[in-house]
Amino acid sequence: MSPRTVRLITLATAVVWMVVIVVWYLYNPSANLTSFEPGADMRPEGTERKSDEVRIGEFFMAHEDVAMPPAALSDSWAGFRGPNRTGIVTHTIPISLMEGDFQTMWTIETGEGHAAPAIWRGRVYVLDYDERLSSDALRCLSLTTGEELWRRWYRVPMKRNHGFSRTIPCVSPDGQVVTIGPEGHVMACDAMTGKLLWTIDMKRRYGSEVPFWYAGQCPLVSGDELVLAPAGKDTLMVGIDVLTGITRWWAPNVAGLKMSHSSVMPMTLGGTRTYVYAGVGGVCGVAADGDARGQVLWTAKGWQPSVIAPSPMQIDNRRVLLVAGYGAGGALLEVNHGGIGWTATISEQYKAEQGLSSEQQTPILYGGDMILTILPKNGGGMRERICIYNPSDLHHTVWNSASDERFGLGPYVVVDGRLFALKESGELYVYQLERGGMTLLRHQTVLPDGADAWGPMAYADGMLLLRDATRIICLKISEG
Amino acid sequence: MERREFLRTCGTLITGGGLASLGGVLGSKASAVEGETMWQIDPERCLQCGRCETECVMRVSAVKCFHANQVCGYCDLCGGYYREGVKELNTAAENLMCPTGAITRRFVEEPYFEYTIDEDLCNGCGKCVKGCSSFGNGSLFLQIQQERCLQCNECSIAKVCVSGAIQRVPVGTAYKLKDHA
Ligand code: SF4
Ligand code: SF4
Ligand code: SF4
Repeated sequence: MSPRTVRLITLATAVVWMVVIVVWYLYNPSANLTSFEPGADMRPEGTERKSDEVRIGEFFMAHEDVAMPPAALSDSWAGFRGPNRTGIVTHTIPISLMEGDFQTMWTIETGEGHAAPAIWRGRVYVLDYDERLSSDALRCLSLTTGEELWRRWYRVPMKRNHGFSRTIPCVSPDGQVVTIGPEGHVMACDAMTGKLLWTIDMKRRYGSEVPFWYAGQCPLVSGDELVLAPAGKDTLMVGIDVLTGITRWWAPNVAGLKMSHSSVMPMTLGGTRTYVYAGVGGVCGVAADGDARGQVLWTAKGWQPSVIAPSPMQIDNRRVLLVAGYGAGGALLEVNHGGIGWTATISEQYKAEQGLSSEQQTPILYGGDMILTILPKNGGGMRERICIYNPSDLHHTVWNSASDERFGLGPYVVVDGRLFALKESGELYVYQLERGGMTLLRHQTVLPDGADAWGPMAYADGMLLLRDATRIICLKISEG
Repeated sequence: MERREFLRTCGTLITGGGLASLGGVLGSKASAVEGETMWQIDPERCLQCGRCETECVMRVSAVKCFHANQVCGYCDLCGGYYREGVKELNTAAENLMCPTGAITRRFVEEPYFEYTIDEDLCNGCGKCVKGCSSFGNGSLFLQIQQERCLQCNECSIAKVCVSGAIQRVPVGTAYKLKDHA
């Protein structure tokens, strides 16, 4: 090869390499890539959030065009089990027992769940779950029309587990409405305007463990005080100023109880006003008044079902009935105050098929000598029927409903001496309560194609509110 | 009008948001191709198995994600937009479900966001659809984009579809949309 050819090849090679290097240098391999960085959705500054961050009560909407309920509606069913948490209401407008069905005044759709309403001054409060917004939503409705007056909500993404919503709001005499969400978020609002007053995240503040199937505890307001049972790491129970959210007292969780689905029940035991709570791991009594306020007076650990939905029910000055589902059955707690201080003992306990029991609803003590319950599905031959027991014998019924009157997990309430019981499929039965039994007065399908009608009923001003898994209805049950 | 041109018009109307007029357009044009059928996915049967992405004879699948605005909750934490278990709710790539960046969103007002699918980028993998149906209200769903589909005699996705979701439908109802009753 001639030197000239060699030079030419060398030069050509150098030129090719130079071109390659220049092209390599100029080529931008990521020119067609788009970078995805925070802020591309134009979210306003300062509103960034983490996925698990819950800002309780952050959103509000009022429907200015909806008419306010008439001021004449002054009755109330201000929380779980109505006045005094007994499930009984008296001195009401006479119930219409004429021929013909009770009239359905209105129906509203709800998110899937079992949260039942409270009623206060013509307003209905329900802590719904809005699946489209992944939010707990406190909805305030007009009792007369069912139209929504306002709603306050907050995003709390959850997975469906027998629906979402659970608990009943509680309204204080001065007009503060308090809710507990399925994930233990406590929210207090002005019951008239919906203005947010204060909030607590029980998991964060107290280290509460929300039970499987979500929190079922309905708030208790006593006067101007909210009583909560977070059953957290250190705190068993707290008393909170319902207007300001300031903690007034707290009871230590020495016994290490965990949160159940049960609610705090006020009782007078051994002459002392006591807040009784059946947690997972035991039952406790906390002093409600006086110098001892907030002190854990007694704890009974002899009865420990793993799941407790019903709440403790007082029988008399010293005895408390405890029931739970899933085969746990029932137990009798005896509380005494004597020379050695407070004692609380489980004097008897039995399985579901052996006596008075309940899976979900809290029994009702009527007239001092009748305990009304619906037996759970493992309650033997009487399963799912309404049964009446005398408090002195929790093992033998004094009355039971007919074999086709089985109610599942449905709720029941006593209005002016009549028991209103709802089958979980949406059929309402009305019984006249008599000494030692009941007479069926009427029955009516009120929730056609109803499913999982488990949420408790509420009654005020002649209107009975009932729900199934996806709707709430209002029945006019009074005369006129 | 050529059938392909007609379908292109339909596709443009859908992606351009002209859903309201779609029924009428399809209805009035259907007579031109009466009796013919096309392949389409029934969103109620689709299990988002992932085969729509890989089995189509097209290099990029003719199956695309559609979005029903009327069904959408406009959620901030969208199960179709964000990966499961994501911590930060922002638009950084590592948080996003779509592997091709086909889904964008725009803030409307607290707490609502509007979601849009870029059909050119979507490969029909169905990841967003799965997320939206298990942790949302199912506004995202897969459809064969008819203007891209070759209308093979035998749809190669239909042959392997695990749920029998792909079937021939009349041209007049070439899409099974969720916004429309
Ligand atoms: S192959 Fe069938 S089930 Fe799988 S994603 Fe496609 S339509 Fe859905
Ligand atoms: S996740 Fe898959 S189906 Fe959904 S938009 Fe992106 S590429 Fe399309
Ligand atoms: S018919 Fe052919 S082009 Fe159309 S979706 Fe099926 S495989 Fe893809």
